[in-house]
Amino acid sequence: MKQPDDLAPSHAIRSLRGHDLRLQAVGRLPALDPRLPRPAALRLPLEATAPAAVRVALLDDVPKVESFRFAVATAPPPAATAVRDRNPSRPDAADGAGEAASATRRTRIAPPRDVVKLSEKFFYLLQPDLETMLGASRLEFPRQPFPFQLDGMAFLMPRHEAVLADEMGLGKSMQAISSMRLLVRSGEARRVLVVCPKGLVSNWARELADWAPELTVAVIEGDPERRRWQWTLPDVPVKLANYEVIVRDRELVRELGLTFDLMVLDEAQRIKNRSSQTSQAVRSIERRRSWALTGTPVENSAEDLVGLFEFVAPGHISERMAPRAMGAAVADHILRRTKDKVLKDMPPRLNRDARIELTAEQRETYRRAEEEGVLRLSDLGREATIQHVFELVLRLKQICNFDTATGESAKLDCLAAELEEVQASGRKALVFSQWVETLGRLRGSLGRFGALEYHGGMSTAARDEAIRRFKHEKKHSVLLLSYGAGAVGLNLQFSQYVFLFDRWWNPAVEDQAINRAHRIGAAGAVTVTRFLSADTIEERIDEVLRRKRDLSDMILSEAGSPAASGLTADDLFALFKLAPPKRAAA
Amino acid sequence: MQQQTEPRPDGVAFGFLTAVESPTHGLFGGYLLVDACGRPLEFHCTTPVKVSRAQQILYGATLHGHLHGRQIGATLLAESALEPAVVLTDIEAMLQVRTHTSHPVALVQRFEHHDGAAGFAVGGMRVSPHASDAARESALREHLAELGAAVDLGEPFERIRAAIDEAQRH
Repeated sequence: MKQPDDLAPSHAIRSLRGHDLRLQAVGRLPALDPRLPRPAALRLPLEATAPAAVRVALLDDVPKVESFRFAVATAPPPAATAVRDRNPSRPDAADGAGEAASATRRTRIAPPRDVVKLSEKFFYLLQPDLETMLGASRLEFPRQPFPFQLDGMAFLMPRHEAVLADEMGLGKSMQAISSMRLLVRSGEARRVLVVCPKGLVSNWARELADWAPELTVAVIEGDPERRRWQWTLPDVPVKLANYEVIVRDRELVRELGLTFDLMVLDEAQRIKNRSSQTSQAVRSIERRRSWALTGTPVENSAEDLVGLFEFVAPGHISERMAPRAMGAAVADHILRRTKDKVLKDMPPRLNRDARIELTAEQRETYRRAEEEGVLRLSDLGREATIQHVFELVLRLKQICNFDTATGESAKLDCLAAELEEVQASGRKALVFSQWVETLGRLRGSLGRFGALEYHGGMSTAARDEAIRRFKHEKKHSVLLLSYGAGAVGLNLQFSQYVFLFDRWWNPAVEDQAINRAHRIGAAGAVTVTRFLSADTIEERIDEVLRRKRDLSDMILSEAGSPAASGLTADDLFALFKLAPPKRAAA
Repeated sequence: MQQQTEPRPDGVAFGFLTAVESPTHGLFGGYLLVDACGRPLEFHCTTPVKVSRAQQILYGATLHGHLHGRQIGATLLAESALEPAVVLTDIEAMLQVRTHTSHPVALVQRFEHHDGAAGFAVGGMRVSPHASDAARESALREHLAELGAAVDLGEPFERIRAAIDEAQRH
């Protein structure tokens, strides 16, 4: 609704300001229209209220402090003069065996996953890096460790339960010895027990002298009285014993109440069978840290790993676990590196299969033996056992090496021809066979190459002497080794040729043999020649082994399901196209 | 695991003092004492100190010195059972801890960060003692030459940072 002009607010205000006040003096004020808007009242307080105070706290409250104190080393102060690399020229590195640890690299010791307490994590995190530790301790080393070897030490040192499963030739023993050495120096280990195969005791003694010269080592050997004395020797931080001694002295160790801060098992696949005396004896020894060294943690089946862990961390895994779950469970306890991953520049390993045609006489002997053998197995029918098949396989393999009738050997002829070149070039060769008898025959025929033997039938002293002569005397171009004695622990990286005169049953053992030469420090490419007699049992075995070669990798990469490896009873029967006998129901 | 409270009686200890800023938690302090070989003897770390915007304004230019030197540095040094030959820090503001301790304090920096500045070299690091410790420089040189032969003087600070990082995750 439109208001009249005189009632409009603007009009009323104008009236109040002047005109209407004047009228007030001459007459009655007109009544104010109640509809006019009233002016807003301004209230002026007589007393002002106090402003709110903003309180800014000063930085006076001291923060809380968590404190940690650490054990101090008991080792004697380092010598004034540091000689850190006894062989600064590092021939292995110079030959391209890989990049040695650089001065700027820092290898940190990370706490294992099972360490939960913050104070324990700090213990590891606040340690100096390995490069600093080694530098500060002024320890002598025969050569500068490779970066991956420092990683291996950083893996071992904080772990009470560890499996170092590096491929053969990457220096597992050196990593274990150097780690042990630092633990002894830091006072974390005072009593160490190293257990290795009998044939490797002198090798370990040498490696200990090289990599930890200040550590006194007692080799446990000899008659019972002598061993008792050796076990109780005071002020000897490292005891070195072979597996047989451990089995023999099991009760003695218990009786003496010996306990160890660290126990190291070399070639730990020896204890994969949990029910074996060796495994039981090893596991009975009281220890705080358990380290297992093996290049083949899974030789035949996942059970091998379970057996190994019964020593390292009893009950940690079981054979009922799926491979992937098993892999996850052991992941923080196992470190495995392969040469192709860590030694990019390592000299190559050149593999070649030499397919040898048997001589006519050999072929005839072989044919007869196989026919007769298969006929016999057929006649035995259900009575045929694995032993019968095994005997036939052995017999045929021996004929592939030497004709039992004439003594002819196509392999020997081929080998001799190859060795001519090896000798002419001033190189060295290793020849492996599963039979000591074969080695003897080869030595008789290879005298012009200065062939030496190395096998379990020889005394330790004789074997050491053979290694010494082969290494240092130019006239010896060939070393003939049995797989049993020569496949593990030896460092023969000055050899450029490896011949597998006959094949072992398990590719892992063949790899171990080959890696005597193809390892850190290899002076150049290593050529591996595997002799295979054409159209014989050797070719058939080779085919089976090829199919099973990757078992170990499958388990360790947490993938796939483990199959049996090596030759099973079924495999052996299948070599002759025979069905294995039905097994009796359990 | 061996953790004892007994320090090596005949050894010299070296202090490494630093602080780590966490965007969420605030400023953590860490103090590591090592022997001449760089092995840890003691470690102390603080709960985080968070500074408000108002405190930043109020303290102005004096904030960092007060926070590092008094709040964190002095508190940490007071907890140590060992007497360090020198307290090294990689944070300039932390030098103010010197007013709260009788131990010499020095700033450690890589050469490229501090080229031409005062101080002396130990390995690849430049050590600049607090002005109050100028008279002790030759003694400091001697002590740090021994430590520097074994340890890169910048390296223990990495350990402290790794430990504080772990403490935050714990």
